[in-house]
Amino acid sequence: MNPVLSLAPRLQRAAGRDGRVTTALAVLAFAVTTALTTSVLAATLAFAERAEHPTTPFERDAGDTYVLLAVIATVLLVVPLLTLGGAAARLGVARRHERLAALRLLGATPREVLGLTVLETAGQGLVGAVLGSLLYGALLPVWTSVPFQERTFSAAELWVGPRVLGLVWLAVPLLAAVSGAGSLRQVVVPPLGVARRVRPPALRAARVVGAVVAFLAFVVVSTVREAFAAAAAGVLVGMLAVAFAAVNAVGPWLLALLGRRAVRRARTPAQLLAARRLLDDPRAVWRVVGGLALASFVAGVLAVVPALAQGPQDDPVVRDVLTGALLTLGIAFLLAAASAGIAQAASVLDRRRELSLARLAGVPVELFDAVRRREVLVPVLVASVGSAGLGLALMLPLFGFAVGAAPQGLVLLVASLAVGTGLVLAATESARPLLRRVLATPVVRAD
Amino acid sequence: MTSTAANVLVPTTEPGRPRLAARGVVKRFGSTTALAGVDVDLGEEESLAVMGPSGSGKSTLLHVLAGILTPDAGTVTLRGRHVEGMSERERSLLRRGRFGFVFQHGQLLSELTALENVALAAMLDGEPRVQAEGLAAQWLGRLGLAGEQDRRPGEMSGGQAQRVAVARALVTRPDVVFADEPTGSLDQATGQDVMRVLVESTRAVGASLVVVTHDTGVASWCDRVVHVRDGLVVTA
Repeated sequence: MNPVLSLAPRLQRAAGRDGRVTTALAVLAFAVTTALTTSVLAATLAFAERAEHPTTPFERDAGDTYVLLAVIATVLLVVPLLTLGGAAARLGVARRHERLAALRLLGATPREVLGLTVLETAGQGLVGAVLGSLLYGALLPVWTSVPFQERTFSAAELWVGPRVLGLVWLAVPLLAAVSGAGSLRQVVVPPLGVARRVRPPALRAARVVGAVVAFLAFVVVSTVREAFAAAAAGVLVGMLAVAFAAVNAVGPWLLALLGRRAVRRARTPAQLLAARRLLDDPRAVWRVVGGLALASFVAGVLAVVPALAQGPQDDPVVRDVLTGALLTLGIAFLLAAASAGIAQAASVLDRRRELSLARLAGVPVELFDAVRRREVLVPVLVASVGSAGLGLALMLPLFGFAVGAAPQGLVLLVASLAVGTGLVLAATESARPLLRRVLATPVVRAD
Repeated sequence: MTSTAANVLVPTTEPGRPRLAARGVVKRFGSTTALAGVDVDLGEEESLAVMGPSGSGKSTLLHVLAGILTPDAGTVTLRGRHVEGMSERERSLLRRGRFGFVFQHGQLLSELTALENVALAAMLDGEPRVQAEGLAAQWLGRLGLAGEQDRRPGEMSGGQAQRVAVARALVTRPDVVFADEPTGSLDQATGQDVMRVLVESTRAVGASLVVVTHDTGVASWCDRVVHVRDGLVVTA
């Protein structure tokens, strides 16, 4: 075996407690990604199976609609799932950069450095995929308790089988390796290329123009959807996809705009630091909350569903659409919480020297806590409440009066957003003990 | 300047009394004795270089003097007030308000501009942002960084970043500035330039200075040099 690559297990052991925390977080993130991806895939396959082999007239008539809705939910969750997987692969990137830059200085080739990273992240991905599969199995009783099409799924219906699991065990390490390799560009090119934080390029306002055009198109197509006759459903789904793309394009730009405004208006150290961190890399912040934005947008749109149905309590499709929307929103919140928690932990580990030196100079630890809460809360609120409000606003011109008459969907939406936001904030608090441990460890030698 | 707990903790100067004094300081890490009974004084507006080989205990001495570490035995007094008897919170306030720090590298917050990094120290000491940025701009101007105030640490040279660190250490007009290998990451010429700025600026605000270094060129900028070996001050 190549002598540099054979160092991988030893380097992993030598990384110490920080290294073990980073590895554990990465494995946890891959496990959560695997468990939820497999669960969502299982539900889609189960709906397809029911559509192919219906046991009731209702399943026969509405089967294809459910498959379409399940596919939409899966597509909605692809971005946050990939985000969490990518975040796991980039965990501890500064520490890894330092270690690999040192290896480059010792003469390791770019290919060997790349190989080490691929080995490390793929290994974490594989362990995470296996643990995630176990978690998927453990979650089956939860999913089998949720009724769809007037009956719950059986565990057998939601079991994806060894072939799909095998594919997952192959795909997760592969994606992990690709993400990990992608994070290495700065270190592979120059041996001294330890990541230096510089001013990120500004986001262009053209994103907003594109987004506005997309939303206008969505509103127009929604209003005149009858004109498309049989293709109306397909056109609407297509336009919804355009609207998602628009939300994704405008999200980072909006966060940067908010960040700039917050920097100007900051009065306290916590406000200034949180605003600067938001402005520092709005794309990275959006990666954490982007999936949440899309799910919240859909939840906002679907909040009008009870208002559209005649006798909403008795309509199984309305009930199932709401259940599905809430499940999708719930999973999106879980993923956002995991992404935010991991991003915060990674930030503490990557910035350990600057945080510790600031602490030595008398900066209170409470300031770092306040900054952490602020830097998560604002993007989460913008993504969830902003997108849900946008989705709702798009529907209100069409169904506004009906929503007033049947506000159940609206109440559920508000409650879900409140619980989900609390969940994300709670997840970021997991960085609190890590921060204290990092600050308690001396960063300057005691000679 | 706004009053903070740190401002009221420490009495004012008394003639003949050292600004900062350590007596019989002992500090152990497990079975290793880093400081074995150190006595050292720092006078009003005096600059003191602490030299010694790696592992001699010089950085530990700086940390004990600055209230970062508490000694296992002995006393550290700032204008007669016992630092070692203070709570962690009191020592944090003391470091924030009465002490300034310049480390070898990495003490600037990477997402803040040079101006904001300096202003943050003043804001933490109770200054409103507008006044804090005004003070920071003055300091950056005095240290030859007037045109660099909107740049981030990652966009500056090592020497420029250390000048920002010096400005940050002095913006609160501290009693004592502690510098741990402040030129350790710089080339000879830049290091000398940073030392000149550090010594002159510290003197200008009436602060005392403790510099830990292994470089005789750096130590030569100070009024007095002490050598630490095996946890003891061997020459003064």
